[in-house]
Amino acid sequence: MADFRLKAEDAGQSAGLLERAKAGEIGAFDEVMRLHEKQVLNTALRLLGNLQDAQDAAQETFLRLYKSLNRLPDVLAIKSWLYRVTVNVCNDMHRQRRRRAWEPLSGSDPASSLPDPELAWTHQERGHLLEVALQTLPRKERAAVVLRDVQGLSTREVAGILGSSEVTVRSQICEARGKLKKFTDRYLRKHL
Amino acid sequence: MNCSDWEREIAGEAECEGLEEHLQGCEHCAAFARELEANRVALRELVAPAAAFDAVRRRVLQQIQAKKRRAVWWGWSAVAAAACVAILCVSFVAPRMRNPLAPEPFEANMDPPAIQWTPKPIHHRSSGRLTAKAAPAQKTEPFVVKMLTNDPNVIIIWLVDQKGDSL
Repeated sequence: MADFRLKAEDAGQSAGLLERAKAGEIGAFDEVMRLHEKQVLNTALRLLGNLQDAQDAAQETFLRLYKSLNRLPDVLAIKSWLYRVTVNVCNDMHRQRRRRAWEPLSGSDPASSLPDPELAWTHQERGHLLEVALQTLPRKERAAVVLRDVQGLSTREVAGILGSSEVTVRSQICEARGKLKKFTDRYLRKHL
Repeated sequence: MNCSDWEREIAGEAECEGLEEHLQGCEHCAAFARELEANRVALRELVAPAAAFDAVRRRVLQQIQAKKRRAVWWGWSAVAAAACVAILCVSFVAPRMRNPLAPEPFEANMDPPAIQWTPKPIHHRSSGRLTAKAAPAQKTEPFVVKMLTNDPNVIIIWLVDQKGDSL
């Protein structure tokens, strides 16, 4: 799994790109989007649990980025800014949207549709089950665990993005992980 | 600390002393830690399909270009509106700003009125007058013609100058 955190050398290479994007060059902004699309869309997908909603959220996030390019000093600032805006946009969409049916990215109900559920409890199935489990978490806990465990950010970075203290974030992550595990345990007890 | 406390420490990534030793000795907590790690790895492997990224970028670029086109259109509309206002000002307001008592300006393209003029023949008299101005006029006696009638009491006197015109 690739680590989407931005490194210093990436920032140096992207500095010129950012300047060209600020100057209004569409091709440069396209490149900036390519650099950050995984970060934005995957975060939105984990927070919303629905690909269509996630695409809408990512689109809105990038449009906000385009409007705010001149206010962002460097690529490192874009990274954390994008996380913050993605979380905010997803929270707004969560409040506004009518609850859409959860759609797994691939396959249907994990394990249960296969002939031998015990054999089917694979890594991939665990992932699909966790997709469902994530949607059962409270909004703040879900954001914390997605940024920490899916995006691989440090607790300090997560706290900065969510505007909380590190202690609060650590507590939210602890709660979320415990709930996810209980969810998978209950599911396995029921189906295996 | 019991296992429940240790589970909380594991899930919260607390770096408390004795955790490693507890994990080595407690299979329950070690399994709990392995489960959490498996969940974390599985979560990281959940990614959107590649086509979804292209679709998002395409939609964003389309919106940006549409906005740019709208901005250009509004810009030209503003220029056209300003030009119309300027033309209206020039054609309606500016003439009323002038002095209403001032004479109408001479229209250069207007034809001058046709004048029927035929040169008069030059008479000696006018030239004579001019010469008379230049030099003192000579006194000439009118030429008198007397016509006698049958009646001795009636005499027709006809005064004629030297050129033959009647006086």
